Amino acid sequence: MWTREVDGTRLTFHLAGINNQNFIMRDEETGTYWQQINGLAISGPLKGWQLTLVPSDELNFATWRSEQPQGTVLNDISKYATEYARKDWDVRMKREPVVISFAEHGMKARDLLLGIRAFGASRAFPYDEVIKQKLVKDHVGAEPVLLVVGEDNQSVRVFRDRIPGVDTTPDFYRLTPPKPGALLMDSATGSEWNFQGCAVSGKLQGVCLERVQALKDYWFDWRNYNPRTTIWGK
Amino acid sequence: MLRNRWLFVTILFACLAASLVFVGYPIYVIRPFRAQGARELAVALVVARFRPMVTVISALVALAALAGYWRVQQREWRRILAAVGAGFVCVLAVLARVNVYELMFHPIDHAAFSAAAKSKLDGDEKVIAVLVNGEARAYPIRAMSYHHIINDEVGKTAIVATY
Repeated sequence: MWTREVDGTRLTFHLAGINNQNFIMRDEETGTYWQQINGLAISGPLKGWQLTLVPSDELNFATWRSEQPQGTVLNDISKYATEYARKDWDVRMKREPVVISFAEHGMKARDLLLGIRAFGASRAFPYDEVIKQKLVKDHVGAEPVLLVVGEDNQSVRVFRDRIPGVDTTPDFYRLTPPKPGALLMDSATGSEWNFQGCAVSGKLQGVCLERVQALKDYWFDWRNYNPRTTIWGK
Repeated sequence: MLRNRWLFVTILFACLAASLVFVGYPIYVIRPFRAQGARELAVALVVARFRPMVTVISALVALAALAGYWRVQQREWRRILAAVGAGFVCVLAVLARVNVYELMFHPIDHAAFSAAAKSKLDGDEKVIAVLVNGEARAYPIRAMSYHHIINDEVGKTAIVATY
């Protein structure tokens, strides 16, 4: 997700090609080609420009709807709806061939991961293992991060593992079973926290953790654009 | 006269070759299920960028060469052969303007949105969600993995949603 205004010009993007199975976009205003994964202009008049990231989440629709009841959702284009993907599209895609492969750390080309590029580092978290553990405390670069699996057991969000305004390192644990609207508790204050990373009860009520952008991706694609990535658990 | 004929034929062949390369090379390099090398991709994108202009110039030159050839060549079948060649160069100029990827994955021209509460989407469908200046929008992956791109405006900000 990117903003599409560059230097005062509003750009209109089209699908224009593929680069090792990550697609290339072309804007009709300048004819520049852009790489989808990183929003970088790779050829044409704007070569070298970087689109600004718009933070996004990959969530189950029910989870999103409960958080954003006032939100709007893109309708199917009915003419093409019969060709749309099934719910398990990303799992089905695992059987598709790849053209590049990085046989490292025991990773298979189409292993799904959550990739984080932040704090001067890149780190990949194998998706299935995150779902299994439900709460992951780790570091990206030197920065402590928290990966939280939602109540739907499929959606994952990442936060900086620091409470704004609190000096000590927080110690979050998962509520079992989770309460409606609360997933975590921090042991220092006993405040309860929801999937949006905000305290909903206790001393810290109203305080929110800082979000960290993560990309759900296949190993071959992530590794291609993040050659120095490390992998959690490997 | 003979020299002129050869000149026109040579120009026709040159136009045909140039148009074929400009149309064919990017398609050859940038095609699915093929590894793209950095250098060949860079060349293919430059070729693709100038392809519409080059193929039109090539078609105009080919038509001019055909007209010249027509005047100096009396044999009917050779004239027809030259006309077919020039016609093919014109067809390539048209093909250069076709976005194969948008034929495969149709773009969204007129996006419509539903209120979250009224959407018929199943609860366990996955969406990509954004929140811009307080406005929340979700893009179902079932649609995004087909269309791949939507040029949108959320929270008074022009964004491009991609998947």
